[in-house]
Amino acid sequence: MIKFEHVGLRYGVGPEILSDVNFTLDQGSFHFLSGPSGAGKTSLMSLMYLGRRPTRGIVSMFGQNVGQMGRHDLKKIRQRIGVVFQDFRLLNHMSAFDNIALPLRIMGESEKEIKANVDELMEWVGLGDHRHQLPNTMSGGQQQRIAIARAVITRPRLLLADEPTGNLDDEIGLRLMNLFDQLNRMGTTIVIASHNTLLMEKFSQHSRLILDKGQLRLIHPRKTIKQKLEGIF
Amino acid sequence: MFKIKKFERGLGIARKRRQYDLPLNKGNGGNFLKLLIALMTFLAMLGVASIFALSAMTDRWSSGLENKATIEIPAKDNSGTVFEQSHMDTLQDQVFNFLQNYPAVDTVEVMDKEEIKSLVAPWLGEGLSYDNIPLPGILTVSFKDDVIFDTDALENKLKTFAPQIRLDTHQSWLADVLRFTGALNFAAVLITIVIGITTIVAVAGAVQSRMAIYHEELELLHLMGAEDSYISRQLQRYVLILSLQGAAIGTAIGGLIMFMVGLLAGEMDISLLPDFHLSIMQIFLLICLPLLVALLGMVTARQTVLRVLAQMP
Repeated sequence: MIKFEHVGLRYGVGPEILSDVNFTLDQGSFHFLSGPSGAGKTSLMSLMYLGRRPTRGIVSMFGQNVGQMGRHDLKKIRQRIGVVFQDFRLLNHMSAFDNIALPLRIMGESEKEIKANVDELMEWVGLGDHRHQLPNTMSGGQQQRIAIARAVITRPRLLLADEPTGNLDDEIGLRLMNLFDQLNRMGTTIVIASHNTLLMEKFSQHSRLILDKGQLRLIHPRKTIKQKLEGIF
Repeated sequence: MFKIKKFERGLGIARKRRQYDLPLNKGNGGNFLKLLIALMTFLAMLGVASIFALSAMTDRWSSGLENKATIEIPAKDNSGTVFEQSHMDTLQDQVFNFLQNYPAVDTVEVMDKEEIKSLVAPWLGEGLSYDNIPLPGILTVSFKDDVIFDTDALENKLKTFAPQIRLDTHQSWLADVLRFTGALNFAAVLITIVIGITTIVAVAGAVQSRMAIYHEELELLHLMGAEDSYISRQLQRYVLILSLQGAAIGTAIGGLIMFMVGLLAGEMDISLLPDFHLSIMQIFLLICLPLLVALLGMVTARQTVLRVLAQMP
């Protein structure tokens, strides 16, 4: 699904932000990405959503080496990835509806299909009454929900979310985590960059990728007593 | 509305919604581009109109004198002895008869004495008696279009009647005039090309600055997997609409100026000035000019966007 082999990244002639990163994420897996500030989480995420090219190493997505892919094929790969940016990156001249509809329009879906899907999702994330509102007139939490809705509207095969519940109250945050869980059960691979240890504890069944000083460690979920017993017998 | 959309879709520039994913309608950049296109269209119209006017001038001069020649029979021989009038008349008749039977000659006319007097009057003065002044004999000849002949050979044959006979095909001075108008025409073409290049550079610069301003939004579309053509179509449409508006303004001003110049030239009644009436083809080309400018703007926008997008990872 996603494979990083000896991947390094540096900006210009500066030091390596990521050095010799190796990991494999299976299709349908769920991971938290954590680490101290400045550890390179956002840089690692940008490599995963193909916003940057690594300065060394091999990045494979959906079984294909992206370094050897043509421009058109890369577009197709990007269409299979949903991203929730930390700063949301919403288009403030467009309504909430149009922001969420954007990935579907890029993919060339019909307006009828778009309306049905976007309306349903907007209701689900609690923004049904804000269809025509511009994002910059909405609260941080509402903007975050638009960003999440936009990332999941295409039912991507990989969802990358940078601090997706940071501005949300507990109830909405939990609801959206359940949405991620639901997407994950449908086969979407999820990677959530987060500082929220409480959230990670609550969803401790998922593995954690810990990034520190440009190096990555993978910590598998703690096994429940039932799972341990299943392993013995 | 439907027809416009259908037409735009035919050009590959329309979307189902009349809204851009990029905030292109924000700010004054659009007005600047529109003004620039208006100015360029106006200048291009003047350039093309100059080309038409110079071509008309060249055509008129060359068509009036091409295939025509003047034969002068001087009234004295090479030693300065003045001929008797009877000898001049005989010589004129011989040359006339010879030319009438010459295969390349279409028509030949003998200029009468009064005409010759009116021609020399500006140099010799009005009211002068020409009775004692030896006047040359002049014949005007027009040649057949489809017959190729050697003017030197013809002149040599004419000189057998009298060695001082001169054949003037007007080529020497006409060639100078045509060379001069040709140079002016070339300059007008060059200026029009420079205007075209300036338009391309200006539109490319305007599009590039827009793309720099909206780099984050562009990057977002790119990261969502938008095809380059999807993004470029939006900027193409934006530039095409602005270009059409600007070109319409430029054409209106250019047309008005040309109309006024035409009126002024008509009032002046200067025969040397070219006729400012345009042919159907020339009117068609002038109508096409703003469309061409708009098309140029659109294609430039497309190429610029694609080049910038190609630099994204």
